[in-house]
Amino acid sequence: MKKILVKTKIQKLTACLLLAGMAFTAVSSVFASPEQDRKSIIEYFETRFVGIPLSEYANGVYAYDTVGRESWEAIEEFPPYEIAIEKGQTMWETPFANGKTYKDCFPDGPAFADQYPRWDKKQAKVVTLPLAINQCREANGEKPLKYKKGSINDILAYIAYESRGKKTHVVIPEGEPGALAAYEDGKKFFFTRRGQLNFSCATCHIQNAGNRIRSDNLSPALGHTTHFPVYRSKWGAVGTLHRRFTGCNKQVRAKPFKAQGEEYRNLEYFLTYLSNGLELNGPGSRK
Amino acid sequence: MKLAIKLLLIVVLGFTSTVILAAASDKAAQDAIAAADQARKKAASVKGEWRDTGKIIKQAEQTRKKGDFDKAIKLANKAERQGKYGYEQAMSQQTLKMPSYLKY
Ligand code: HEC
Repeated sequence: MKKILVKTKIQKLTACLLLAGMAFTAVSSVFASPEQDRKSIIEYFETRFVGIPLSEYANGVYAYDTVGRESWEAIEEFPPYEIAIEKGQTMWETPFANGKTYKDCFPDGPAFADQYPRWDKKQAKVVTLPLAINQCREANGEKPLKYKKGSINDILAYIAYESRGKKTHVVIPEGEPGALAAYEDGKKFFFTRRGQLNFSCATCHIQNAGNRIRSDNLSPALGHTTHFPVYRSKWGAVGTLHRRFTGCNKQVRAKPFKAQGEEYRNLEYFLTYLSNGLELNGPGSRK
Repeated sequence: MKLAIKLLLIVVLGFTSTVILAAASDKAAQDAIAAADQARKKAASVKGEWRDTGKIIKQAEQTRKKGDFDKAIKLANKAERQGKYGYEQAMSQQTLKMPSYLKY
């Protein structure tokens, strides 16, 4: 594992990464199936971090950040997201003004986070859990919730908590060209360099996973989605996956996209697919 | 006498030319800002807009309103360059190429 020195200026790191980036030349634009993508990325991490069992990637960066792991485990003993779970349970159980509840929309709930994100044939798009929640609210005459901050995180935290132990199993239905196209779109997003710093998601979360950027150890893309929503000390609150995407886009000085817009939903579809088979363990806590 | 008239002429000329120059600069600043916004939109149309381009354009506009046309033009040009780079960056990656560290 090569280490990039912590430099105060991100520009310096950019230079390093760009140089590192030049050391390889992009190849193979041949089509690979989603399963081939997933296997290839797993193989990459198995070679990069020898001896770490696949299931450990559900713990994100703590799969290999042994120092950070200690304080993380200490925090998890008194989880900062507990209040969110409680509030979310109240939301789940409190009927809407029309007397219906979330359960009427989601009969398999509240332990059903594993069913998302999924391809919705009727709507011809990827539907994520936050989007489904708002569609349920609106169908019942309630106002939609905001997608990054606020109470959507409570209901998501409760659903995530109830869904613990289930496994990620994103399906790309055969005979649905739209679903595969959405996956491919998300994959392209993930590997596309953007912003003034010219980084792709993959630059940080695959190529440089385990290297440090400022004070952060970079997490692996594998396992990125298992624990959302996440309590971040930096936010002082629980936040959604798309809030995190926004932050990561801004970090490289790219203009972020709309939370729950097509770009991020397709990205989520691809990214979650990579974690197929990994256990859902949300909500989580991170630095 | 003659000298006084000459001096007066110089002063008057100098003054009018400053006015003309200043007027040209405001127009130039407006044009530069419009060009920058066009470049920003073009980048956005291929999902390549950078984070700060819009902010820099706003700054340019505020600076122009305060009458600092040179600075406004500088800012606008910077934003226009960002728009161009963002567009080129996105266009250069129209077909996805998987990095070679991933084996298939
Ligand atoms: C400049 C490097 C960089 C780039 C590029 C980047 N990220 Fe991140 N990302 C980070 C850092 C730093 C963190 C916080 C530490 C960590 O978990 O890696 C983070 C965290 C995350 C997390 C949360 C991980 C967790 O365990 O909670 C997700 C998800 C994520 N990034 C996704 C993305 C996606 C998707 C992209 C592309 C749009 C992206 N990142 C691009 C640096 C980057």
